Amino acid sequence: MIAILVDGIVQGLQLSLMAVGITLIYGLGGVLNLAHGQFAVVGGIATALFVEAGVNPLVACALGILSAGVFGFVVDRTLLLPAYRSAGEERLLLGLLITLGLSFVVNGFLDYKYPNISLTLKLATPSFSVAGITVRTASAVAAAIAIVAFILLFAFLKGTLLGKVVRSIIQNEVGAGLCGINPGRIRTLIVTLSAMMAGMGGVVQGLFSSLGTEMGNELTSFALIVAVVGGVRSINGTLAAGVLLGIVNAFASYYVGAYLTLIILLGTAVFTILLRPAGLFAYRT
Amino acid sequence: MPVVKGVSLEVQQGEAVAVIGPNGAGKTTLFKAIAGMLKPRSGKILYQGARIDGIRHCDTVKRGVVYVPAERELFPQMTVLENLELGAYTNYKSRRERLEFVLRLFPRLAERREQMAGTLSGGEQQMVAVGRGLMAKPSILLLDEPSTGLAPLFVSELYRQLSRLKAEGLTILLAEQQVPHALSFSERAYVLENGGIRLFGKSADLLGDPEIQRSYLGMV
Repeated sequence: MIAILVDGIVQGLQLSLMAVGITLIYGLGGVLNLAHGQFAVVGGIATALFVEAGVNPLVACALGILSAGVFGFVVDRTLLLPAYRSAGEERLLLGLLITLGLSFVVNGFLDYKYPNISLTLKLATPSFSVAGITVRTASAVAAAIAIVAFILLFAFLKGTLLGKVVRSIIQNEVGAGLCGINPGRIRTLIVTLSAMMAGMGGVVQGLFSSLGTEMGNELTSFALIVAVVGGVRSINGTLAAGVLLGIVNAFASYYVGAYLTLIILLGTAVFTILLRPAGLFAYRT
Repeated sequence: MPVVKGVSLEVQQGEAVAVIGPNGAGKTTLFKAIAGMLKPRSGKILYQGARIDGIRHCDTVKRGVVYVPAERELFPQMTVLENLELGAYTNYKSRRERLEFVLRLFPRLAERREQMAGTLSGGEQQMVAVGRGLMAKPSILLLDEPSTGLAPLFVSELYRQLSRLKAEGLTILLAEQQVPHALSFSERAYVLENGGIRLFGKSADLLGDPEIQRSYLGMV
C-alpha cells in the first residue's frame, strides 16, 4: 500500500515537472503546447546519445536537459512567431496546429534517425529501506530532482523581479505592458525554462524505467491532463494535480491494470472539471 | 473606419490638459495611440521633439509616457506592494524612493500593502493603478477616466491628490466624463465628439461656455 502510494507521489512529481511547462507556456504565451512530451523526449534522447558517446552520466543528464532548453528556445524564436503575432483564439488555434505539426516532425525524425536509442539510467544501488519500507533509489532520486526543481521555480516566481514579471504577464498581459514590460522576451525565457523542466521529466523517466523515442505523445497526453486538472494558469494547482493523478495512476495500474489506467485518469480529470471548471486551485477575478 | 480623425492636440510641460466628451467619442483610442498601444494610420505623435508613433508600447513607458487606463489592468493575485513594485520595472533602482512617494500620496495603500489587489474596493484599486503609473516616474501621465466606478467622495479625494501631483510639476493629460472635476482641475481642455475636436480652450472659459454648460454640465 505505502509502496504504491510513494510510487504514485514520485510519478506525480514527474508529471508535474512536465505539466508545469504547459501551464507556464499557456499562461504566458497563450499557446497550448502539444509538443511538450517531445521536449521531454528530446532531452532524454540527447542524454542517451551523450552517454553513448562516453560522457559521464551525470554530465550527460545536464547536457541533455540543456539540449531540451536549446530546442525550446529555437522553437519559440522561429516556429511560434506566427502564433505570437496573432491574438486571442487565433493564437490558440495557430499554436495548437504548429505544436501538433512539431510533434509529428520530432516523432518522425527520432524514429527515422535513432530507431534503437532509448534512455535507461541505472543506479549503483537499486534500492534501500527506510523504517521498514523498501524504496527504489531511482524513485528517491527522481523525487529529489523534482522537489528541488519546484523549490527553485517557486523561489524564482515569488522572490525575484523576473519571477514577479512572469506572474504579472500570466495575470494580465495588458497590465504588464503598461509597466513597460516586453512580454516577448520573457516568453522566450519561459519557453526555454519549461523545455528544460520537460527535459528533466524525460531524464527522470529514464531513471524510473526507460524512455523511448516513441513516448512523446504519451507524455504530452499525461502532462495535458495534469495541466487541465490543475487549472491551466495555476502553478500550485498543477503541482497538486500532478501528485493527485500520480497516486490515482499508481493505484489504478496496480489494481486494474495499465490498459484501463488512462481511462481512469481521464475520468478523474473530467470529474474534477465538473466540480471545479477552472481547475483545482483556480481563481477568478 | 478610423475612430479618431484630424485631431490636433498639444500639452506643454507641467500643464494639466483635459479631454472631455461623451462615451465613444474616441478618448480612449486617442490615449492608446499616444501610449503606443495602437498605431495611427496617418499623422504624427511628437514627444519632447521626437516621434513616438509606431514605437513599441514598452518603449514609450521607458521614455516616461505612462498610461493609466480606465480598466486599471492590475494584477489581481498579487499584493498591492508587488503591483506597485512592477510599476517601477523601467527604473527599478529608484523603486524605494518612488514607493515612499506613492505611499505618502495614498496612505491607504500603505495599510493595504500586503493585500491582494483583486480584493480591494474600486477606489483603492484606482489608487493602485495611479500609484503603479507613478512608480515609473512618468514625465507625462495619461489618465483615462480615473473616476470610473468611484463613489463621489473618492472622486474628490482622487482629484485632491492629482492636484498635489500637478503642483509638483507633473504633466497630466486627462480624459474624463466628470466634466466639472476635469475642468476645474485642468488649465486647458479639448472637447472630443465623434472622433474630432469640437471645441478647445482654457478650462475656465469652457466652464462658462453656454454650450458646454448645456451639453456637459446639465445646466439649462
